[in-house]
Amino acid sequence: MRTRSFVKLVAAVGSGAVLLAGCAGGGSGGSSGDAKVIKIGTLHPLSGANAGDGTQLENGVKLGIKAINDAGGIKALGGAKLELDGGDTKGTPDTGQSEAQRLVGDGVVALVGTYQSAVSANVAAVAERNKVPFVMDVSGDDAILSHGYKYSFRMQPQNSRFGTTAAQYVKAISAAANRPVTKVAYLHEATAFGTGVYQAFKAEAQKSGLQMGPEITYDAASVSDLTTQIAQVKASGANVLVVSGYYRDGVLAAKAIQTVKPALDAVVGAADGAFDQPQFPTDAGSASQGYFDVNYHFDDKSADAKAFSALYKTTYKDEARTGAALAYDSVRVIAAALEKAGSTDASKVRDAIAQTNLTPLTLSDGPIKFSDKGENSTSLPVLTQVQNGAPVVVYPQSAAVKSPVYPANPGQ
Amino acid sequence: MTITTETRPGSAAIQNRRQSIQRSLIILVVITVLAAFAPALLPESSQTIAVRVLIFAIMAIGWNLMSGYGGMFSFGHAAFFGIGAYTDVYLLEHFGWSPWISLVVGAMLAALVAICIGYLAFRYKLRSAYFALATFAFAEMLRLLATNTSWVNGTTGFHVPLLPDNSWSMLQFAANAPQYYYIGLALVVICLLITMFYLRSRTGIHTVAVRDNEDAADALGVNVMRVKLTTMALSAAITSVAGMFYAQYFMFVDPDIAFGQAQSVQAIAPAVIGGVATLWGPLVGALILGPLSDLTAGWLRNPPTFLEFLSGRGGLDVVLYSILLIVIALVLPKGIVGSIRDWWKRR
Repeated sequence: MRTRSFVKLVAAVGSGAVLLAGCAGGGSGGSSGDAKVIKIGTLHPLSGANAGDGTQLENGVKLGIKAINDAGGIKALGGAKLELDGGDTKGTPDTGQSEAQRLVGDGVVALVGTYQSAVSANVAAVAERNKVPFVMDVSGDDAILSHGYKYSFRMQPQNSRFGTTAAQYVKAISAAANRPVTKVAYLHEATAFGTGVYQAFKAEAQKSGLQMGPEITYDAASVSDLTTQIAQVKASGANVLVVSGYYRDGVLAAKAIQTVKPALDAVVGAADGAFDQPQFPTDAGSASQGYFDVNYHFDDKSADAKAFSALYKTTYKDEARTGAALAYDSVRVIAAALEKAGSTDASKVRDAIAQTNLTPLTLSDGPIKFSDKGENSTSLPVLTQVQNGAPVVVYPQSAAVKSPVYPANPGQ
Repeated sequence: MTITTETRPGSAAIQNRRQSIQRSLIILVVITVLAAFAPALLPESSQTIAVRVLIFAIMAIGWNLMSGYGGMFSFGHAAFFGIGAYTDVYLLEHFGWSPWISLVVGAMLAALVAICIGYLAFRYKLRSAYFALATFAFAEMLRLLATNTSWVNGTTGFHVPLLPDNSWSMLQFAANAPQYYYIGLALVVICLLITMFYLRSRTGIHTVAVRDNEDAADALGVNVMRVKLTTMALSAAITSVAGMFYAQYFMFVDPDIAFGQAQSVQAIAPAVIGGVATLWGPLVGALILGPLSDLTAGWLRNPPTFLEFLSGRGGLDVVLYSILLIVIALVLPKGIVGSIRDWWKRR
């Protein structure tokens, strides 16, 4: 009894430890029972700079596993329970690879991960060589699935789709407001993510006759102020600024825009990590008003998505980011495939995943369906706008909750 | 002739070198034979760790040659590691060249770059901290160059394309194939042999002499610049081999992995912990540091009850890393091997 109360005390201090202990307890209890246990391996950055997002994704997987188990496990396999086998990638590809290999050695039926494209690229190769299905919850880089891998699938839209749709949406809403875009300035962080989205945007913009310039890059890891960059935007005379960055630098950009006050009709994030987050209006204050972002997003009209957000909040005392829903759906995809295959044989599970037909928690053009390359072809980047202190979906109309305000006069 | 208590290999130690190289060769044979059994004894899932140990060891052997024996402290060995890795993947992707050829090309390129860096640094008489900073700056420069150069795929980096079958000529095998381990082990042994015989050669002896007293060596007619550049070039070539092997094993490189600071640290840390300017130090250090992050990750995954509060917290390996470095610096300033050697001699 004494040790137990000690454990409880410790757990109360470090919140979340209770849940972990609970999960572990439940898991080992399950494995000692009669029902078979099926392991799902996760690979997320649980330490390092991206631990915040990694934890969100990991929590999404945990909720997914719990939901499947609570509903009776995998019925086609005699009610077999799912169990989490977690791996910490630390955000580096080589740790990701050794963790992936450890999980494969542990006998996981599928892998879920990884948040960073470089890590996912490596894990995808491991999955392919070991013939274990790999479902990517968040990882945008197009190149990962350009090698013809058979065992890798991606839930979120790839980077190029963000860039392309951002260009289309900007053109559409500005035309609808009778205030067409004349010139687009682009500000992006300098790694594969920002660069990839920029290139796709530029290609689409040129196709539809939008004038581009200037292109400004920055290092997201070290940047502490973006006023010089925004001053450059102001001097260029562009009337729309498109930004692709992570959360922290997104807030910096918003603050710089408020200081410099360039004459912009709109600031549009292309897969920006900040402008569509529930925390953004709090962190950027009035500077956040009117900001657009093209990103994947919760289906605000879906009861399941609302229930997920509420459950996440009560369980983890934090607002769920959309990534958590993608991780949750990744587990559902795997569970459905196990159900369909009626087997844990990797190649059968892989074939069943390839035929997935499942309604996601995120906005989409229909149920999750994977293309031959493994891309979720129905995933839908949508346009959100911060209105009255909260980001809401404003375009396309099929998904919109409110209508876009354009010009948005950001920073004025 | 009888003053043999010198810890640094001074003139008397040179006399002992013939004897000591025989002893070193015997130790090397014993270690190699023992290491050859490792894949049979280790669980399959720890193969990656074993290969990582070997990569750490090659890098540290390279670093130790230049910074330990040569006394030119480098904080930018990522530059040479990255050149090896990028040469391999670039030639593979664009020309389909075998990694074995890229290994030679990469080593030559790395040596060339090392000579350029060294020439500029010594020409302008950069020493100690300034030299270290200069090497660091060169590695960073290469990182930024790779990041912003589209013909090496910029930030995206390269993937090694997967082959359907095992191939010795393309250095690619099934995941977890023991071949990777044996190739890595062979590379480590070759690098150790090169170090041994280089230190025994005329230039090698001059290298140590220049480190111990540059002015005296110069006065005695040693061509200081040539000796330093040769040592740097050889060190860079060895480190580039680690880069090539890394790329072939992990099948992916990008500018951060290849040229990032973490890579420079991974060349230094095993050598410092194992023992700077000792033949076996880098190997011992790599054996300790290679598995460290996986061991701590394992502890954190299923912590014993008294460590329960640690579960779910990452980064313990970094903490242990730092503690190890501090303890070694305080208690064993010559590293593990260096301290044991001193203790053995004093005994």
